[in-house]
Amino acid sequence: MNLKNISTSVPKKDHKGKVSGQLAYISDVKVENMVYGVLYRSPIAYGKIKSIQLPDLPEGYEAVGAEHITGPNYVKIIKEDQPIFANEWVNYIGEPILMLVGKDLDILYRLLDEVKMELEEHQAIFTLDEAIKQKSSPGVTMASYEFGESLESISAIEQGACQIIEEEYNTGYQEHVYLEPQGMLGIYKEDEIVVQGSMQCLYYIKNALITALACGDDDVRVVQSPTGGGFGGKEEFPSMMACHVAVAAKAVKKSVMLVFDRSEDMVVTTKRHPAKLKYRTALDKEGNIMSMCVEVFLDGGANVGLSSVVLQRALLNSAGVYKIPHFHAKGYVLKTNTVPNGAFRGFGAPQSFAGIESHIGHLSKRANIDPLDYKRKYLVQQGDPTITKGNFRDPILMEDMIEDLLNASNYKKKKAEFQTFNQQNQRYKKGIGTSLFLHGCGFTGSGERDHIKAKVKLYKSKDNQVSLKISNSDMGQGIFTTLSKIVAKELDLPYEEVLYPYPDTKEVPDSGPTVASRTTMIVGKLLERAAKKLKAQWLTGVEQEVTEDYVHREMIPWDEKTFTGDAYPAYSWGVNFVEVEVDTLTGNVKLEKVYANYEVGKVIDDRVMKGQIDGGLAQGLAYGYLEKMTSKEGRIQQKSITDYGPPTSMDVVTIQSKVFDNPYADGPYGAKGAGELTLIGGAPAVQAAIEDALQTSFQQIPITPEVIIESLWMKEGEEG
Amino acid sequence: MIKFNLNGRKIETDAPPTARLLDVIREDFTLIGTKEGCGEGECGACSVFVNNLLQNSCLIPIGSIDGAEVVTIEGIMESDQFKILDESYSEAGGVQCGYCIPGMVMASAALLSQNPHPSEDEIREGISGNLCRCTGYNMIVEAINMAAKKGDGLWKKQ
Amino acid sequence: MEETIIAYRFDRLEETLSQLNKANCAIVAGGTDVMVMHKSRRGVPPKITKPIIFIDHLLELKQVNQNGNDLHIGACCTYSELLRDPLIPMPLKKAIKTIAAPAIRNRGTLGGNICNASPAGDTLPLLYVYNAKLLLRSVNGDRIVPICEFIQGVRRVQREPNEILTEIILPSVLEEGAHVVFEKVGNRNADAIAKVGFAGYIRTKGAVIEDVRFAFGAVGPTMIRSNEIEKKLLGKTIPVTDMDIAKVVAAFDKIIKPIDDQRSTAIYRKTVALNLLRYFLTNSTHIQHI
Repeated sequence: MNLKNISTSVPKKDHKGKVSGQLAYISDVKVENMVYGVLYRSPIAYGKIKSIQLPDLPEGYEAVGAEHITGPNYVKIIKEDQPIFANEWVNYIGEPILMLVGKDLDILYRLLDEVKMELEEHQAIFTLDEAIKQKSSPGVTMASYEFGESLESISAIEQGACQIIEEEYNTGYQEHVYLEPQGMLGIYKEDEIVVQGSMQCLYYIKNALITALACGDDDVRVVQSPTGGGFGGKEEFPSMMACHVAVAAKAVKKSVMLVFDRSEDMVVTTKRHPAKLKYRTALDKEGNIMSMCVEVFLDGGANVGLSSVVLQRALLNSAGVYKIPHFHAKGYVLKTNTVPNGAFRGFGAPQSFAGIESHIGHLSKRANIDPLDYKRKYLVQQGDPTITKGNFRDPILMEDMIEDLLNASNYKKKKAEFQTFNQQNQRYKKGIGTSLFLHGCGFTGSGERDHIKAKVKLYKSKDNQVSLKISNSDMGQGIFTTLSKIVAKELDLPYEEVLYPYPDTKEVPDSGPTVASRTTMIVGKLLERAAKKLKAQWLTGVEQEVTEDYVHREMIPWDEKTFTGDAYPAYSWGVNFVEVEVDTLTGNVKLEKVYANYEVGKVIDDRVMKGQIDGGLAQGLAYGYLEKMTSKEGRIQQKSITDYGPPTSMDVVTIQSKVFDNPYADGPYGAKGAGELTLIGGAPAVQAAIEDALQTSFQQIPITPEVIIESLWMKEGEEG
Repeated sequence: MIKFNLNGRKIETDAPPTARLLDVIREDFTLIGTKEGCGEGECGACSVFVNNLLQNSCLIPIGSIDGAEVVTIEGIMESDQFKILDESYSEAGGVQCGYCIPGMVMASAALLSQNPHPSEDEIREGISGNLCRCTGYNMIVEAINMAAKKGDGLWKKQ
Repeated sequence: MEETIIAYRFDRLEETLSQLNKANCAIVAGGTDVMVMHKSRRGVPPKITKPIIFIDHLLELKQVNQNGNDLHIGACCTYSELLRDPLIPMPLKKAIKTIAAPAIRNRGTLGGNICNASPAGDTLPLLYVYNAKLLLRSVNGDRIVPICEFIQGVRRVQREPNEILTEIILPSVLEEGAHVVFEKVGNRNADAIAKVGFAGYIRTKGAVIEDVRFAFGAVGPTMIRSNEIEKKLLGKTIPVTDMDIAKVVAAFDKIIKPIDDQRSTAIYRKTVALNLLRYFLTNSTHIQHI
């Protein structure tokens, strides 16, 4: 297949193996001399380990713990605060303490039950609210940033304001529920440890292994297995499992397989940070915004992990898509003795967008203006400064995208129809809501230049077959297909003849992690350039290799200390309209219609893009009203998929979507990031729709039936 | 010794009667197309046919299916029906991470063999026990709809 | 070192009963609940301590028969079989359709739903308002027990170790004239465990209420039903007055005592249960009137 238009869909590279089920995920793999590992975990939220008593281990069964770690006992991420095996303090329920390895899982589970441990329990912090109260205590604030206009000048503006509106907004956990539970295999070889498994970031893992095993670059190798969904859940968490199996494999000189049960996966793996967002907005007498102060609190859980970076993105998005005349923001990551929170599609932005869209929506009600009209008054335009004194330098198509959806959804007419319907129907109420959002593509600030330094390689064999040698994972999002397409088109080769094997760090350079909607835009661009280079040097019948390194786009330099400059090289944009019907007897919300417009520069594959839209939006919508996870005294309450409640096929409706073209100079064929963007608008739009149906305001997501019934009950109390 | 028919082959297993059908087909017969996503009948990744009915193999104690006919994704892979589903899933873009897909294909085949021309709602109900976290289902619904049309005649009830 | 697990799977009910008379066994019908309750972690069979006896294949337990206006449903009919059976009343089919998803419905049985006696058992509210009777059989003979006596608490039933639930009898269910409503409130549209279940039954002669029944699920250890409250409405005319509705709702308000758990809150469960009751009383009696 030769590619005329890059956006035209092609069959996915990995379709055959997946549709037949014959592609081996890590739990399908068996290697010689393989044993299983099971983890003994902390039963308490915070305390000191006094002693551990192991049962008599039968022959062939061994315990592996901190004493077997050759290097320092931490999982290398950013800070050194996450032990591989906790051996002194435990900081959350479920924290790994040791691993039992052996052939038979039945015996391992029995032995696990017989491990005895003496602990000295200490007073734990269980909730974000408790942590906020104690945020000045040592160790509670794990990261903090502040930026924007000075509080003095904001205060002066507030003096002249007609009114000051304060709102407090809460967002809950979100669990990834990738269909394939986490799994990692440490393969023991005389001269190297190979770690293979379900993952997004090969070099994060490799670097963590080099530190943990205190070994050389050639002593460890990381290979990605087919990965059954990631959504951020397999960004940093697998590094810990990789350390477990590698340390164990080295200790017992056998290959060690660690695969989680669903309930174990739900309870101990990272989740989206619960957040509290506080808004303080000064309004003039017409209800126009004069200034805004935002405070963001993220529940980091027991380790900082990637939370500081998540907070950065949350803060960078704290003003949404709006130009607020005078803006100030401050944010904190706070420690609680709960399961550590981490990366999840959107990475802090979904919390911020839910909050700001809610707040602006509520301000519009006060001003008695349709929320969409009110939002459009403040919409940023090309050339406007960002809240960090960067610049929106590329064209912004939001107005066109909004107009298009106003027509497609028949917004005005529908509002009137719903009003009539709601007057006539006692039980069911209909509403329509909107959300406007953006997503900064790639790493924040100078991350690509200073930390990632991506390198890509193209290899051409003697028989002229070209392979992509990059460290990025296809976890279902389709980069096998899209990146291969870019290379094929550039080289004028049939798409089928370009290969993209599962990455292996022995073969591929570090082209960066598969995160932050960076892969298509950043890695894709490097591949495009590499392909151009290869084409120029092409020698038929000769083995050739080309590499290409990241080049930074000239921007306003990012300064993390002052939080100023261009936080992102480019932005993708979106508009969602959602219609719901609420059952006022049960509080159940039914999605009726969903409309979505996006602008991602240029679509590399229409079908892959649609997959991102439908899947991302389903997650985003569910984040707003369906998926509910809670923690009680440090324990996750929902241990099964059903109790947590991600959408089934009967909860989702057809999504009418459109993608607008707006090529970006530094993306391949103009492409920008798309994967995270699609999730962000779901929750705020669904909230606005529920509010419209019930003519009330909410200060949290998810807006579960429980929340709705309570609010209706309160409303009845007020009226009656 | 429990005897049953697996993908058209008579087989015997000395697994304990409480052993999950899922483990027997994966471990003893190394058929990896049947996946484990939850082990509690909540995700459908382990869907198989038992006596022509869609079932979750993680909930089936092997002792209860003595004499039964069990078909896994491997057992339908060569069929014309599978070819249609394969094509339709590819064309509709129904496959992302792929982990739910063998189970989803089994559910699709089960639905179409009972109801060759399902409505959208019937399709959604037919796959409602098969969780997918990547696609938001719509492209899978489209794939099944496409397979119904393409395979018109093939799915007719016997 | 592995213990041998004993399991029986007889061709006939008679042999099954005779084995049950000899030893206390764990009865497994569809297994969709048992396999989850006794689940081990990944890769290991569930742990069931007693010898197991499989019954879901027994043809004697898979019949649906009409007897006058009564319906006799074999305990091991799967949900899917019942959905296809023309004799099964629509409200029961509606309740069954809310259970999990097709693969589970192909395996789970009505008898299993009763004997597991989960507070959230999907069919139970409806079976309670149908005044379902259960036929229990042992080598010593048959006995019939009303469902509300059979189910005694959370996962506790009044079954002798040598007995099998063979039939569910729905008395007079095929009679015309009753209006039956079922509502399940779950966290999503499929694969959900009930947070609240409600069944309402009303039969009128002219405008006079001859019979009225209500049952609530997932708001207590077993289904909540009260003959005493129901009686208050007998002989009244429809539409039921606001005052009578308020009285009935207030009476249930006193006896519905749900709990907070990982799926919902006590206050939500109670409010919604009463909302559904109020709605049923307001609307069902109106519809009949018209």
